[in-house]
Amino acid sequence: MTAAEHRPATGTAVRRKEDARLLTGRGRYVSDLVLPRMRHVAFVRSPIAHARLTEVDASGALEVDGVHAVFTGEHPALAAVALRAQSALPGYVETDQPPLARGKVRFAGEAVAAVVADDRYLAEDGAEAVVVDYDPLEPTVCAWTDPADVTDPVHDEAPDNLLLSRTFRAGDVEAALAAADVVVDRELTTNRHGGNPIECRAGVARYEAADRRLTFWSGTQVPHLVRTQLAELLDLPVGNIRVIAPDVGGGFGVKAVLYPEDVALCLIAIATPGVPLKWVEDRVEHLLAATHARDHRYVLRAGFAADGALLAVRADVWCNTGAYSVYPWTAGIEPLMAGGLLTGPYKLEHYECTVRGVATNTSPSGPYRGVARPSTVFAMEALLDSGARALDMDPIALRRRNLILPADIPYRMPSRLVDDSGAYEACLDRAVEVFDVDRWRAEQARRRDAGEKPVGIGVGIYNELTGLGRAASAGPRMPFRTGHDACTVRVNPDGAVTVFSGVTSQGQGLETTMAQVVADALGVDYDAVDVRIGDTDESLWGFGAFSSRQAVIGGGASHLAGAHVRDKVLELAGALREVDVADLDLRAGQVHVRGQEKPIISLSEVARVAYLQSDRLPEGFEPGLEGTKFYDPIRGAFAAGAQLAAIEFDPATGAVRILDWVCVEDAGTIVHPVIVDGQIAGSIAQGIGGAMYEHLVYDEAGNLSTGTLLDYLMPTSGEIPELRIDHVSVPAANPTGVRGVGEGGTLAPNAVVAGALVDALGVEVDDLPVTPSCVWELLHGGGDR
Amino acid sequence: MRITLTVNGEAHRLDVEPRHTLADALREGLALTGTHLGCEHGVCGACTVLVDGEPVRACLMFAVQAEGCTVATVEGLAGPDGTLHPLQEAFSVCHGLQCGACTPGMLMTAVHLLAVEPTPDRDRIRAEMAGNICRCTGYVGIVDAVESAAATMAGREDR
Repeated sequence: MTAAEHRPATGTAVRRKEDARLLTGRGRYVSDLVLPRMRHVAFVRSPIAHARLTEVDASGALEVDGVHAVFTGEHPALAAVALRAQSALPGYVETDQPPLARGKVRFAGEAVAAVVADDRYLAEDGAEAVVVDYDPLEPTVCAWTDPADVTDPVHDEAPDNLLLSRTFRAGDVEAALAAADVVVDRELTTNRHGGNPIECRAGVARYEAADRRLTFWSGTQVPHLVRTQLAELLDLPVGNIRVIAPDVGGGFGVKAVLYPEDVALCLIAIATPGVPLKWVEDRVEHLLAATHARDHRYVLRAGFAADGALLAVRADVWCNTGAYSVYPWTAGIEPLMAGGLLTGPYKLEHYECTVRGVATNTSPSGPYRGVARPSTVFAMEALLDSGARALDMDPIALRRRNLILPADIPYRMPSRLVDDSGAYEACLDRAVEVFDVDRWRAEQARRRDAGEKPVGIGVGIYNELTGLGRAASAGPRMPFRTGHDACTVRVNPDGAVTVFSGVTSQGQGLETTMAQVVADALGVDYDAVDVRIGDTDESLWGFGAFSSRQAVIGGGASHLAGAHVRDKVLELAGALREVDVADLDLRAGQVHVRGQEKPIISLSEVARVAYLQSDRLPEGFEPGLEGTKFYDPIRGAFAAGAQLAAIEFDPATGAVRILDWVCVEDAGTIVHPVIVDGQIAGSIAQGIGGAMYEHLVYDEAGNLSTGTLLDYLMPTSGEIPELRIDHVSVPAANPTGVRGVGEGGTLAPNAVVAGALVDALGVEVDDLPVTPSCVWELLHGGGDR
Repeated sequence: MRITLTVNGEAHRLDVEPRHTLADALREGLALTGTHLGCEHGVCGACTVLVDGEPVRACLMFAVQAEGCTVATVEGLAGPDGTLHPLQEAFSVCHGLQCGACTPGMLMTAVHLLAVEPTPDRDRIRAEMAGNICRCTGYVGIVDAVESAAATMAGREDR
């Protein structure tokens, strides 16, 4: 390619850098890692939800061939350590999570002991031979149990199991409700489900005692955060810990947590120096003990004016935080998000919302793609659907009446978050057009007349708060602010470019996206850029993958670092060729005088001078050719989205069939169109899974009754329909103009499926998921569910 | 126990315990870590390999049951010069993969599908691939990729 043909990589579906290895079976996952002298760990897990631990007898396990050691929570190597998620939020009750249970177990699946053996088979043999004596306590499973009924609290520090509560208040809800023409009430619950990446959690820990160095290979979304938190917990200097997240087989938030098993593995490695220890979680463990999410209850009241204006919302919210305050995000992660974002893309003056994080004897709740908002969007859209029915208005028209519009931007939400998008109506307009609402309304009428299976139209509109900077990430008041990432761009002596980015990837193709951004900012071809991520010894800083933040923040840092190095290249080139730097341009790895086709010097020659030929370095230039920049967007970039679907319901069987699904999002500037659409499609599929299939069910004793993938149903290609994805693109105010896209798709499906059901059959669904039996019982009356 | 089997055209002798799964034998014994384990109870399909041409959950088959069998894994799909199989190529172009964890099983299932049914329509592809769970893509790119590879492969046959 000549310089004249050089095209920006941004906006192009370049081949993903990850694909060559992932398609040929040559990926580098932690699960694949083998080290000399490595031993394997299996955890003994509690079969009981709540019990005092009276004895852990490891003697039988130690007699199993190949078993080297058994560790319990009371072992000196572990006994002094606890994970304690901190927040300065008033009223937040801090509690400890031991790496292995101490004194009592708080959920079925909690790790009680760790067996170290020559291979995983033998470690599991050992785990089976550990005898644990449990003295059962009364379990709490439901987060909205009357606190007066709690006899055995999960944590002594919180006798009513309440770890956190906060009330968001704006305006005068009481007066606004009194003045409303129509008031609607809804009581909703959303179903507990989880991320379930195809690669479960995995870690390998190795400690070298002579220089106190710990290396932890972990399938984590947040390696730098894991390093700083481990340093605190293990009392090691941060610089002595290296966390490496190589290829990771999916994350979705579940791997943005530092787990007790991770900490236990590292502590045991420290106790057995020189012996690498490997733990690879199996699916049964994952369903039992990786973080869950979305087990919420919403008691809602909304008031509307006769013209459809939304006047007031009052909400009482309970979020089941499970047995522990998830580390390091705290039990506030879901409730605070729920209260902060409940009102979504709608203008509202009068708002009162009390959120609670309630501890129960179930697996801890943590971050999962969309954090709380699939539930809150369902809650908000359910209020609007009820309002539309009460006012006899078209549900889409009612939404239009209340959307935050471009003229309202920046819009201060009642929770005081500042919305910079306003593209909701544009997304809705485009979605209505692509979906062709009139066509589906006609089909609906035709079926009604012909007596065929009814079809309903569901709608969900949402704002995705992406790329939170220091001002917006302040919510949970944790001892760290996740607003910034760093990137180092290095031109090597041969002129090729290596990027050390603080982002991490669990399938999002960040190596590719960062290479595109740097290629354009620096002025080289995409193929000339190699990106290294996920290793705390290589990249300076990055908070990792959560809150749809990396394209915005990591991308911003990559752009700034690339532009900075470009300036350095041009300055050196100008000095070498005695040309005014202001006249120079770098394209496709060649330095040009602007407007001239023939380059004056190549990037590789500039690099050779910078590293190898200091005799040619002009006065005032230091050797080397690299630069590091941080980026923090301070606030964030709201991303707008709207989804519409036509869904058929069979009144005879309750069967639910999706006929059409349209999503329009504002992703701002799009760096890689196919990756962006892939993020949206994948997140919609997870949203549909949550809305229709996925449900982690506990019985009253706290036993998980959906402990395998035969009971916990993730949608396949047979269930997920063709998804029609389109865009409006309003560039955000950040260096690359991007808005995050990782989570938005998950936010609407609950609302869309529930909305389609009421539209088709005239019955409101209050409890998700919308399964065939749920539909059948709503129509025919099911008695006790 | 000693077993012999042919993997991706190469004969191997392996010493395995009776309880070792085929997946573990491939991954640990032969360092073929392209075959992934997603659930170890036969549901997710990530560990799908072809045994004597038929798709098999390598987590549900003991290594000793593969005695004398011919096994094909993802590592054998590309040509000796590194040229990608049309399915691998199509998965890349159509974004049929994100994290890559389900990908080996998806590819092997699709290899079998196109071997027995060279031109399936999208509904057939969706039905036949429904034994493999992907958590990342929403399946759009996967269905596109299988459809596209089928066309490419049919085109080659015609020539």
